[in-house]
Amino acid sequence: MSLHPLALPLLRRLLMLLLTMAAVSFLVFLVLEVNIDGVAVKVLGQFSTPDQRAAWLRENGYLDPFLLRYLRWLGRFVTGDWGVSTYYQEEVLTLILPRLAASALLAGAALAVMTPLALALGVLAGVRPGSLTDRTVSTLSILTTSAPEFATAVFLTAIFVITLGWLPGVSTMAGGFSVRELVLPVAVLVLASTGYIARMTRASMAEVMASPYIRTALLKGASPMRIILRHALRNALVTPMTVIMLQIPWIVSGVIIVEVFFAYRGFGTLVYQAALNSDVYLIEACAMVSVAVVVISQLASDLMQAMLDPRVGLGALAKKGRS
Amino acid sequence: MGHGGTSRGCWSSAAESADGTGPLDASGSDGPVKGLRSLDGGPLHPAVPGLVQQLDQGQIDRRTFLRTLSWLGVSATGGAAATLSACAPGQDGQSGDSLRFACAIQQITDPALSTWVEASNIYRNALEFLTEVDADNITHPYLAESWRASEDLKTWRFNLRRDVTWSNGDRFTAEDVLFNFRRWLSPDSKSVNRTSFSAVTDVEQVDDHTVVVHLSRPLCALPEQLYAWTCPMLHRRFDADGADWPRNPIGTGPYRLAGFNVGREARLERRDDYWGERPFLARIDYVDLGTDISTHVAALSAGQVDILYRVTIAELDLVKRVPGAVLVEHEAAQTLVLRMQMDKPPFDDRRIRQAVQLAADNGAMLALAYRGRGQVGENHHVAPSQPDYAPLPRQRRNLPLARQLLGEAGHPDGIDLELTLGNTQGRYEQDTAQVLQQNLAEAGIRLKLNVIPAPEYWSVWDKVPFGLTSWAHRPLGVMTLDLAYRSGSVWNESRFSNPAFDAGLDRALGLLDPRERAVEMARLEQILQDEAVMVQPYWCRKFTAISPRVRNYPVHPSDYFRMTGVTLA
Repeated sequence: MSLHPLALPLLRRLLMLLLTMAAVSFLVFLVLEVNIDGVAVKVLGQFSTPDQRAAWLRENGYLDPFLLRYLRWLGRFVTGDWGVSTYYQEEVLTLILPRLAASALLAGAALAVMTPLALALGVLAGVRPGSLTDRTVSTLSILTTSAPEFATAVFLTAIFVITLGWLPGVSTMAGGFSVRELVLPVAVLVLASTGYIARMTRASMAEVMASPYIRTALLKGASPMRIILRHALRNALVTPMTVIMLQIPWIVSGVIIVEVFFAYRGFGTLVYQAALNSDVYLIEACAMVSVAVVVISQLASDLMQAMLDPRVGLGALAKKGRS
Repeated sequence: MGHGGTSRGCWSSAAESADGTGPLDASGSDGPVKGLRSLDGGPLHPAVPGLVQQLDQGQIDRRTFLRTLSWLGVSATGGAAATLSACAPGQDGQSGDSLRFACAIQQITDPALSTWVEASNIYRNALEFLTEVDADNITHPYLAESWRASEDLKTWRFNLRRDVTWSNGDRFTAEDVLFNFRRWLSPDSKSVNRTSFSAVTDVEQVDDHTVVVHLSRPLCALPEQLYAWTCPMLHRRFDADGADWPRNPIGTGPYRLAGFNVGREARLERRDDYWGERPFLARIDYVDLGTDISTHVAALSAGQVDILYRVTIAELDLVKRVPGAVLVEHEAAQTLVLRMQMDKPPFDDRRIRQAVQLAADNGAMLALAYRGRGQVGENHHVAPSQPDYAPLPRQRRNLPLARQLLGEAGHPDGIDLELTLGNTQGRYEQDTAQVLQQNLAEAGIRLKLNVIPAPEYWSVWDKVPFGLTSWAHRPLGVMTLDLAYRSGSVWNESRFSNPAFDAGLDRALGLLDPRERAVEMARLEQILQDEAVMVQPYWCRKFTAISPRVRNYPVHPSDYFRMTGVTLA
């Protein structure tokens, strides 16, 4: 029996993931579908007659007990039958997938800019705490982090769209994919998060730089470059990487403000529209997808932490699994 | 009318030419009847000489005169159709240009049921109406080339154009018109048209291109009412084909619907087999830019769209400063109505409603929430800019009386009320409500604001006891009153029901003589004020922004934009 030491803890994690999703799905279903008349009005529209609604409820099994309806819904959901959006009149699944891809693109672009930038700034600042570089980076970080996205979006639009006329004002991608239309939303996201990650990196770096083994390396006569790259960086990256992983669910499902402001057709805008229009089946699906994104990225974050930090990472996970 | 905008539409210019010293000039020596003719070439309606006399004696103004004539199918300057086609570009004016129009893309299924004007601007390119009402409220022939009313205004004969074909190749005939009237009027119809045309008793097909409409009571503005946004002519097989227009977009109009995605875009492409003069633009793309209007302005400034459906008072300064945006503004009988439902407590007590009205400061709401860009409302939903407006003595704010009425109604310590609103047209709705909140507090009325998202508001707008609803422009005040305050009408959100008012409505709708109608209107307005149905704080001036490239954008007080004459520089 040669099971990989990681397999069991991973399985446990996956099981937790499924349990979390099941719990959330029950809550979502409870909130949205316990009032069946409300569902009928949403689906058939405000001009439907009471007779039509009653017939619709009967035909679609809405008169069955709540638990039975929930299980049936869950079964359909698991098999990919997510229903039809009442507002867009489209299959929810075919509606969500391109939106999710669009948000993933936005997230990917933002992370690709944000991660190297934030890490570089954080390392630069953390190598010599108290230096001019450190103070500059820290001040800028606090400034950008404390400006909310909607304000940054307005400022950037005022400068780059209206005053300078360099960039398009909306990012609908109506005429196909356009890098130019991606610039402003990505910039807003980068400004919102880079400072935070940079500060985390700086703190972590400063802590590592003050630790005994770095002093040993220094006394050994190793060059500062070698100390930072070989000895300090790997240990200093554990915390920032976790923070970066936690940005993923935020960007994919949480940046409603940025997507709505730039009319970017991503998942966030879809969630917003679904909520505005009380689009029952779409809200249910969006909620489930959001939970899945959060849970999966957390799992990925755990794995990545384990890989970066052999001291606690793999071993701890594996030990926890065996105990 | 005061179209202060920089872009004057072709309808405005048509009206201008009619305003000039043509054969109709009252001071003309030739006598004013010269130059008048029926659209169908027959004798003039018996009411025409009386109208001419009133114009001669200066009792009515030219616009009222022209408007009234147009209802009767009488043309002043050799046919209104001529002025319409004069502004449409000729064949050589066609281009391959496409235009992008920023507008919410809402769900459309049955156009007769639509509750949003935005949606109608999309199908207005592909569906057509029997008549057309221009920006000056003058009615012109459209799918009906002429019409004639009986002397008692109870029988109307419409002659249809013979050269109109549907986009599927079928001919447009009287059968289609009958089909539309019947579905509007059927007992289970949910369309507001059932209310607007409740006087219609029968629609009769005389031949393939002639329809006679029989009414139970006189209706003088029937042709004008046929241009309401819920009245486009649908193909006779519309119901049989599933009653879903975007899925089966048959129309007679100059464009065909080539793509439609709710919340995203609608694409309209020019039809080569259109019966009328073909429009300049080859394609119009309507794009949904979401709900944030400042983003729309940014998109206009960056050249991503050419026309914005609307900007609100909040973006006014932005539009003025942004390069690449031309502000267009115009007056319209558009307003906010903060109506109270007569059948729900505490509003079933007239004294409570009166107390609210007496404590409200309409002038303050206009000044603070709409920056004074409009006219003070008089709590009866008829605008000074509407031709049938009758001035009443001014109502005055009276806090002691409001408190006294509250006391008499059993609330000497004040009362708690809740107002529901959805900012459907913009944040100024909430600003207005906040000013009202402070006004009412001075009389001991504690007003709670229940602000909900706009789409949610439209599902409760006629259900909440106290709600703030935005009402679009109607050419005549009596049309609004008929839609919103007649007992049991589909859009009667205040549940107002008053037999004397209904009878007065019937009379006003049938009175051709503008002066007689004014007397009746004064009575109706007074009833609404006395019953304290609503606080109607002000009439909103309307704003939008277009790119400097856009020419002939047809500003219309009802937001009924016909894109046929629009060109791009």
